[in-house]
Order: sequence, then structure tokens, then C-alpha cells
Amino acid sequence: MLSVRQLSIDIEGKPIVRNSSFSVPLGKITSIIGESGSGKSMTVSALLGILPPGAKATGQALFYDKNLLTVSDKEMMEIRRTHLFTIFQDAANSFNPSVKMRHQLFEFSGRKSGDTNEEFRLKMEGILDDLGLAPEIMEQYPFELSGGMLQRCMIACALYMKPGLLIADEPTSALDMVLQKEFIGLLKRLNEQHGTTILLITHDLDIVAEVAHDMVVMRHGEVIETGSVTEVFDCPKHPYTKLLLDSRF
Amino acid sequence: MTVKWIGKRMMMGIIVLFIVSFLSFFIMHAAPGDPAAAFYGGNAQTLNAAEKERISRVFSLDRPVIAQYGTWLAETMKGNLGVSYKEGRPVSTILMERLPNTLLLFGVTLFFIIIGSIWLGTTAGMKAGSLWDKGLSTASIVTSSIPAFWLGILFISFFAVKLGFLPSSGTGDIGGEGGFTDKLRYLLMPATVIVLTHVGIYARFLQESIKAESRNYYVTVARANGVAEQVIRKGILRNASIPYLNYIGMTIPSFVGGSIIVESLFSWSGLGQLTVKAVVTKDFPLLMGGILLTGLIVVLSLFVIDLITYSLNPRLRKGDVR
Amino acid sequence: MKSRKALTFWCTILGIIVVMTIFAGFLSSYEPNDMNLDEVYTSPGESHLLGTDHLGRDVFSRLLEGGKVTLTVASISVLVSLVIGVLYGGISGYVGGIVDTVMMRFLEALITIPSLIIILAFQAFMQGGMWSMALIIGVTGWLVTARIVRSEFIRLKDAEFVKMAIMFGTPMWRIIFGHMLRNSIPAIFVVTLFNFAGAIFIEVSLSFLGIGVPPAIPSWGNMLYYAQNDILIGAWWIGVFPGIMIFITILAINFIGEALKDPERRRLDA
Repeated sequence: MLSVRQLSIDIEGKPIVRNSSFSVPLGKITSIIGESGSGKSMTVSALLGILPPGAKATGQALFYDKNLLTVSDKEMMEIRRTHLFTIFQDAANSFNPSVKMRHQLFEFSGRKSGDTNEEFRLKMEGILDDLGLAPEIMEQYPFELSGGMLQRCMIACALYMKPGLLIADEPTSALDMVLQKEFIGLLKRLNEQHGTTILLITHDLDIVAEVAHDMVVMRHGEVIETGSVTEVFDCPKHPYTKLLLDSRF
Repeated sequence: MTVKWIGKRMMMGIIVLFIVSFLSFFIMHAAPGDPAAAFYGGNAQTLNAAEKERISRVFSLDRPVIAQYGTWLAETMKGNLGVSYKEGRPVSTILMERLPNTLLLFGVTLFFIIIGSIWLGTTAGMKAGSLWDKGLSTASIVTSSIPAFWLGILFISFFAVKLGFLPSSGTGDIGGEGGFTDKLRYLLMPATVIVLTHVGIYARFLQESIKAESRNYYVTVARANGVAEQVIRKGILRNASIPYLNYIGMTIPSFVGGSIIVESLFSWSGLGQLTVKAVVTKDFPLLMGGILLTGLIVVLSLFVIDLITYSLNPRLRKGDVR
Repeated sequence: MKSRKALTFWCTILGIIVVMTIFAGFLSSYEPNDMNLDEVYTSPGESHLLGTDHLGRDVFSRLLEGGKVTLTVASISVLVSLVIGVLYGGISGYVGGIVDTVMMRFLEALITIPSLIIILAFQAFMQGGMWSMALIIGVTGWLVTARIVRSEFIRLKDAEFVKMAIMFGTPMWRIIFGHMLRNSIPAIFVVTLFNFAGAIFIEVSLSFLGIGVPPAIPSWGNMLYYAQNDILIGAWWIGVFPGIMIFITILAINFIGEALKDPERRRLDA
């Protein structure tokens, strides 16, 4: 599905990520785990082509036979529009504060599949209802909703779009425990019911243990271990992974 | 919520007008000569003792200053602003003659400044780091450092004296012929001078707020998720326009001050030129009237800007102060 | 790096202008008010570097002398606004609460009145000389300073070192002057610089309207006032040079202020 080879990222000559390789198999939930500063979020930025100015990525990231690191801006736009969906960490700030949710949700979902307003409204209301959100939120502004509700709105767009690959960058770190659990449940459902491939970035081993099939461990800008979750949990190879697992129990 | 907000803004406007009126009254009070003379100007000599007595009673001159102010304010509210020293006509009549010209200049210049600065500021702000971006920053400082009236002098010397195809001064209605197009010819130079010296600084402000807004998290999120660039820009512009409008509101007073001088230079027969003339000729009733009306124009413009801001900013509307 | 160079450049320009006006007497070979009716409207040339005006007075000498007057008026008025602004803003910010609210509401109201209007009103019956005008510009120009001082004081009141000082029982005046005012200096300096440019603008505008500095005293604004007529008969030099001086002075101040303003943000932009 997505295969990353020898990815390196420099910011103004300073290496942030070095020679990292991993792959995200179709229909599975793959988790990148690492502490903050391990380069996992930068990796996501590189995949999405939203690196900060001054940053450069080299290597290869094959997605639908296209190298995400070298495609033209126009192609990247097209990929983001049709095949990818990304949920970010800070849901409260993920929406434009002065535009009604209906318009923003439409731009994130219905617009991409070319649906009319009416089609969008019916389909989105169904999804929102399924996620326990009242249809009234469509007429509200982001600042009137809680972080948990906004994060569910993001999931709603993913459910609507059914992207080839869903990237979730620390989607739960801004939520409280109960909401975290609920959100993880939603991700799992998305994967099981619709077969959506998910790349989940997190620093929380519990989440990995609960939902992920495969995992990638990153530390100091390097991938130090990859494998299926059961494999890695049963017999970690790298001492850092061992330490990580030990600290969990 | 809306009613409460409008009420609050109107209170503020009324307080401002109150201060302006107090200032006007203070001038009249400090003006040389007795208030009857100040009020009736050149006609004062023709009044006999009984009439003077009556005026004194009407204006409560035998009572404390604050009571005098009250009486004066009541008269002013009825539209009675006294009689001009020089012209012997009611001040309100003279002001009404001048008002359209000032509003024309004010409206036209503000319109072009807003259109121009939105165009320049958006082009520059959306392309951070480009030549446009850097160029506008410098150009705006340079243009805003030119005194508008000096640019006016240069314009007169070039377009009116040397080339002779634009009138150097006036409003165009002295000859009576020509009508509106003739007026436009007269308007061209003063308006251009004001627009040129102001458009840069407003454009720069918008440019900066667009750049700040573009750094927001939601812009990255939208971009990463393939939301059309057009839609993203529309959202950025909408949010950046709120501080921009605020800035226009903040600078309206000095903008009005600036046009007073340009009016005088080009003998544009508006309120500004009238007010300056009143200072020079010490025509106190006229001066007070000019000040009050200018204050009113500023307060009303600010109110309009507030209304636009209010309608653009849902947080204000919903009363959320997060 | 680039901005440092620009800063030095503009500071030098401003310095040259100030020094030239201070030593006006040494630099010009004519008395600024000496009339010579045989030499009216001489174009710029060898005998008169920048020409003469309608009374045969040397434009160059008047330009320097006029600069002295304009810059003096502006300096005094800026000082006056500085004092009022610091006091008003300081009290408002330090006391806080209802006093702060009332004072700020009042300031908000004042700020919406065009200061030129207030000055015009005063000029009408003060028939001011140079000093009274400087005073009036100062009295009407403190609003922004007060606002900045207030917000700085509110910010600093919460700062760790001020809290510590209060805890250690440092006397109030020492906290206000030694800690809060001293740490507000960068912000106050920038706003005062812009104020200075504003004061020059107002002096020049008023004198240009013929209601500023008395006509007998040369100032940049007064020179432009007479230039209005001269320009109609083609004597462009009388109006052009004072304008250029005003322009360069204000330009220098604006660029300096711009370079000093918010160094934090500039670094992010780079």
C-alpha cells in the first residue's frame, strides 16, 4: 500500500530523520510509535508534502506506484484530495473558527467526491448520527463544539470519503481518557467494517496494543524495529523496544 | 446578543460625541467677547439691550458653566448651531452646503484605498517570501512617509502648472457649468494624493494579518487534506479581514485629519477647508459646528465598521470570548 | 544581519539631519531671515545652493533653520506626550480593576477624535507661538503611549521577578520605576519614535495651513505654506526641498522604528 524506503529529512542541514524504511500493508492498522522528537510527526509531514520551509526529504515513499516525495504539486494535491485523509492531533484548531461546520465538512468530504449539497447533507447526517453527533452541529461554529466532538467530525469525513489510506497523527493526545478509548474504538471499526488502511502515529503503547496489527518503533530519527504487534510484543529485538515494553508493565 | 452589542457600541459613540461637544463648548466659552456676541457674531451690535437680556436668559449666562453647557447642548441637539461671524448665515446651513463635498472625497478615497489595499495586500500576503511580499513592505513605509499635502504641491506644480490639464484647486461648481463630470476633474488630484499616500500602509497591514493567519493550524490541516486552495484562501482572507477592519477603524480619525489638510490645499470646499478657514478667521460658531460634524462623521464611520466586523466574526455574534 | 545594516544606515541619515539643523548657523553663509529684494526667486545655483524665495531669502539657510524649529517642536511635544502617556498608562495598568476600565474607556473615546481637530480648536484662541504649539501637540499625542505603557505594566505585573520583588517587600516606587518602567523602555522607545514622526507631521501640517508656527519663524511647514503660491509661478525649488527633508526624516524614523519593533517576530519571519 505504502512503502517507505530510506527516508531522510533535513531541516536546514540538520538531520531529523535518517534512512527510515517501513511499509503499511493494505487493510491493516500500522502504528508508528516513538517519543516526541523521534521524528514520527516529521515523517508524516514528509509523506503529505507539508514539510516546513527549509526542510528537505530524500528517499522514496511509494503510494499507488507514485513516489510521494517527488511527485509534482499538482499530483500531490490530487492524491491528498482523493486517496488520503489525515486526522491531526489538535482537533480544536483543525477547523477555521469563523466558518460553519457544514461548509467545512463539505470541503473535507462531499466536495471531493463531487456530491451535491443535498446528497452531502443526507449522507453526512447519517454518519454524524452514527457517531453520536446531532445534525445541528452542521449549523454551528467550531468554537461551539468540544475537542472530542471536533475529532469525531474529522472521523466523519474519513468515513464519508473512505480514503485509500487514513493517517492519524496523535489523534487522541488532546482528548481525555474516556474520549480516547471511544476514538480508538472508532478507528478500529473503520478498519474492520470498511477495510480502511490506517497509519496511526502515537506515543502510547496501550493504543498500539489495542488496535494496531503492525508497528514501527522510531527513536532519535531512526526506525529501530518493525514487525507485527504480536511479534514485537512477544520478543522485542532492540533494547530500546524492550525498555519501552518493560516500562508498560 | 446583537441588540446588547449594538447598544454598547452606540453608548460608546454617544460618549465620544459628548466629549467632542464639551470641547466645542469650551472653545466658545474661552472665546473672546461675550457669548451673545459669540453666538450672533457680526449681528451682535444690532441687538438692543432687551434682546441681549433675552439671549442671556436663554443661554443661562447668569447660571454656572455646567448649566450653560446643558442649555447649549439642548440648542445644538435641535440643530441650532448659531450664526457664522463672517457670513452672517446660520452655521447649520453652511455646514450642510459643505457636507456633500466632504462625503464625496471621503467616500471616494476610502473606497479606492480599501479596494487597492485588499488587492495589493492579498497578492503580497498569499505569496510569503516573494518579491511582492518584500516589495510591498518597503513601498508601504516609503509612501506613508510622504506628507499628502506635499505630494499635492508636487502634483499641482506638475499637472496643473506645467502640463495644465487639471485644475489646481476648487470644487468645480463656481462657474456652474459642467456638472458632475466637471466635479470629477477637480476631484481627481486631491483623491489621488490621499489614495497614494494611504493605500500602502493599509495593504501592508492586511498582508501581515494574512501571513499570520496562514500560519494557523487549520490551514495546514485543510491543505494536507486536499481542500481546494481557493477555499482555503477564502477562509484565510475572511479571518484576516477582521483585524484589517479594526485597523481601518483605528486609523479613521487620523485619516479624516489628513483629508482636512488636503481639502485646504486644493480649496476643495468641504468641511475640512471650512474648519481651517474658521480657525484662521476666528469664526467660533462655525468652528464649533465643523468640529461637531466631523466628530459625528467619524463616530458614524466607526459604527459602520463595527457592524461589518460584527457580521464577519461569529465569535462576537455568539458572545463567545474564548 | 540585513536589518542591522539598514538600521545603522537610517540612524546615520537621521543623525546627519539632526546635526545639520543644530549647527545651522555654521553651515549656511546667509542669515535665514535676511531679505534681498534684488535676488528674489533665484534658481538653485552657485550663489544660492538651493535658490531664494519670494523675499530673496536663502532657501538652504532657511531649510536648516526651519529644520531646527520643526524638530524642536516635535521633540518637546513628544516629551510632553511621553510624560502624560507614562503617567496615565502606568496608573491604569498598575492599579487595574475598575480604575483601569474607566480610564481605558475614556481613552478609547479620546482616541476616536481626530487629534488634528482638537489642535485646530486650541489654535483658534491660543494664537500660539512655537512653545504653545509644541505643548498642544504633546497634550493631544499621548494616547497610544498610554496604551502601550498600560499593556506593558499589566504584562510585567504578572512577571516572576516583579512578584518576587513584591514578596521581598520592595517599596512600591522601586517596583514601578526600577522594575516595571525599566523593562517597558524598549516598547516605549518604539512608540515614542513613531510619535516623533507623527509630531513632525502635525507641526508641518499646521504650519502649512498657516495656523502653526508664527510666519516670522521659518519651519519646514511654513516654507511649504509660502511655496503654495511660488509653485504656481514655477519656483519649484521652494516647495520641493523642505518636502524632501520632511520625507527623508520621517522615512528614517519609520525605518528605524520598523527595525526595532518586535525583534521576536522578525526573527520568525526570517
